[in-house]
Amino acid sequence: MSANDLEEYRLTARKWLEGNLERRDPDVGPSLRGVDHKTVEGIALERVIQRKVFDAGYAGITWPTEYGGQSLTPAHEAVFNEESRPFRTADFGVAGGTTMGVCARTMLVHASPDFLRRHIPRILAGEELWVQFFSEPGAGSDLAGITTRATRDGEEWILSGSKIWSSGAYYADYGMCLSRTDWDVPKHRGLTWFGVKVDLPGVTVQPVREINGDAEFCQEFFDDVRLSEADVIGEVNRGWTVAQTMLVFERGGSDSGEVRPRPTRPKGLAPDLVALARRAGRDKEPYVRQQVARAHINDFAAAQLARRVGGLIRTGRGNPAGVASYGKLATGTFGALRARIGMEIGRGGALVWEPGQLDGMAPSVTYLNGRLGGIAGGTNEMQRNGIGERVLDLPREPSFDTNRPFNEVVRAAANWTGATGSA
Amino acid sequence: MDLDLSDDQQLLRDTSARFIEDRCPLPHVRELAASADGVDPTYGRQAADLGWYSLLVDEEHGGGSVSGKSFADAAIVALERGRYLQPGAFVPGNVVAWALAHYGNDEQQAKVLPAVIAGERVATWAAADSSGSWEPGAGATVEPTGSGLRLAGAKGLVQDAHLAEWLLVTAASPTGLTQLLVPAGAPGVEIVRLDGLDITRRFCTVRFSGVELTPADVVGELGGAAAGIDREMQVAAVLTLAESIGAMDQDFTVALDYAKVRTAFGRPIGSFQAMKHMLADTSLLLESSKAIVTAAIEALDEEAENAAEVVSMAKAYVGDSAIELAQNCFQTFGGIGFTWEHDQHLYLRRLTADSSLYGEPAWHRERIWQLYGL
Repeated sequence: MSANDLEEYRLTARKWLEGNLERRDPDVGPSLRGVDHKTVEGIALERVIQRKVFDAGYAGITWPTEYGGQSLTPAHEAVFNEESRPFRTADFGVAGGTTMGVCARTMLVHASPDFLRRHIPRILAGEELWVQFFSEPGAGSDLAGITTRATRDGEEWILSGSKIWSSGAYYADYGMCLSRTDWDVPKHRGLTWFGVKVDLPGVTVQPVREINGDAEFCQEFFDDVRLSEADVIGEVNRGWTVAQTMLVFERGGSDSGEVRPRPTRPKGLAPDLVALARRAGRDKEPYVRQQVARAHINDFAAAQLARRVGGLIRTGRGNPAGVASYGKLATGTFGALRARIGMEIGRGGALVWEPGQLDGMAPSVTYLNGRLGGIAGGTNEMQRNGIGERVLDLPREPSFDTNRPFNEVVRAAANWTGATGSA
Repeated sequence: MDLDLSDDQQLLRDTSARFIEDRCPLPHVRELAASADGVDPTYGRQAADLGWYSLLVDEEHGGGSVSGKSFADAAIVALERGRYLQPGAFVPGNVVAWALAHYGNDEQQAKVLPAVIAGERVATWAAADSSGSWEPGAGATVEPTGSGLRLAGAKGLVQDAHLAEWLLVTAASPTGLTQLLVPAGAPGVEIVRLDGLDITRRFCTVRFSGVELTPADVVGELGGAAAGIDREMQVAAVLTLAESIGAMDQDFTVALDYAKVRTAFGRPIGSFQAMKHMLADTSLLLESSKAIVTAAIEALDEEAENAAEVVSMAKAYVGDSAIELAQNCFQTFGGIGFTWEHDQHLYLRRLTADSSLYGEPAWHRERIWQLYGL
């Protein structure tokens, strides 16, 4: 590939974009979680846009042609991303990121060629949106402790149980579902992944109303849902390996395991907080100035940390899953702090607003969402364990659940006395 | 800290580390801490032979960096120095060398600069006032008298002024900020060596009672030093940051090792989540500090438009993080950290002083607003 090829690719892409997609409205900022609600009808329109991009050969640029991609280089993808930024591309909300960034990438690593041929082209064409059926009401940070079960029945599997925190499942087509297929082995060794179509008999998807008033997360109930062998992703009872891959993608890892770097230069002093301080008439108060600068500096530190983590992985200086926890922990701690600073400096103006006024409600919504980063996708405590054990090589805690059959673990936990070892 | 050192940079790091290990390991740092002067006289010369005072000076003026990125190179030395709490005016000495190379007149560049680069004479920077304010020119004023200039006031937190031949003094003048290269022995200069929290370094208050100077003592333009002083603050901050990172890294490494071998309740204490989580948070402080200091060094080497902001962000962030790190390490050591023999307190003292020198975190946070004109 020469620079000329790339330049030609750029020009062709630019021409196609100008001829086929609308320009993005520059006044529309990034959407605020809890305010920008996706509807099934709205998503249908986005699918049309995605189909156009797919038909023109700009979906899955680096993915294998065998599965509907283009088998081009990351440089091509970067060129297309750059060129398409001013244009209105498909916005599938959080489920879009989960489909392309997490589920499909994990499938490409672990699923059978048959499975990939069936699903990846449809994903790229916008016909299949995938979400994760991963956490359960009784298992979040302890993911290997899930109790949704899949039981063999001749050539089929029967799925029963419940999943929760699947973002955007109410408008998705499939869930990538982790289930327990063997209860008589230790917890990590009896897990299997399935692709579950959300409109199968026995599947109920129910939006969960969140503290911000929106209902983007969903809970699913599976009542003896019948699945086939062809729905298995990866190997039976080896699902934990697949889960590990998924978690790296979920933490912002790329195909090579590197964490994606963020822009390195600040774009002005925390514009949202400065505006808030001004609206409250407090932008000359030393305390307010200190707090705003603190948030601004933390934003910058987190961006630089992401760069460093990428570098540590690139130069082989750290266990990728372990050092990726730094970025997650920084987001999980700085996010909540920043949201509190917004409420603090906004004072009354952050507490009440004219009905429907987006600027007015933003600090409150951000505040209510502020702990998401510290809970979703692995709590701060899980990241601290990961850093402590995988990066710092600190000795592990005594374990009560890793070396005995999961059945026994569940019973022992229910009858917990605190006694350990031999009586 | 930098993940991609060139061969020459690795050589610089290794020779500096070896020199420190041979010439001034921690037991010797303790001996010097107990002495009056705080530095032994031959150390600076030997360190200068390794290039410690020439990295920020261009070749034309007798210096030279090893990689073409002079701040990255100087930070390599600073990091190794910080790791073992090295004494001596490395930071202010390099600020003076940088300032003379950029703004000095012919005579200053011909006579003073070579002696500083060679480590034959000590030059230090007098920027703060005696209360520790880092507002440019704080504490001193210079006024024209018929044929010359008269300097009055007092400067504080001047490192190693008691050993210095020259002081680069920032002062206010009727026409604006000014820098002066003042012979430490000039009539009217009084240097008082102080005791302090950080026993590994010596700081002085310097009083100027109508010190008579000439226009040849001015560095740069009389009244035109504002931009220069800003840049010098950035240079001082970045070198101090790199020294802090070295000290943070070493303090944390020792505390982490301790958490793995110290046992209580039948387990290594590092296996308890309470300890593990505190150490994970502490290591996040360390890694994010390394990341932000790397950005500050790059900003100076690339002469980035927003270098002042990036340096202030780094100084504010690390200034807080370093103290928290040292406090957390202290907590990990428990009682032994409260003993004089244990090195923990030397790191706590050093890092707390570093946080305040060349602008405390709150000063830099306010400065960021001002840099945006807000």
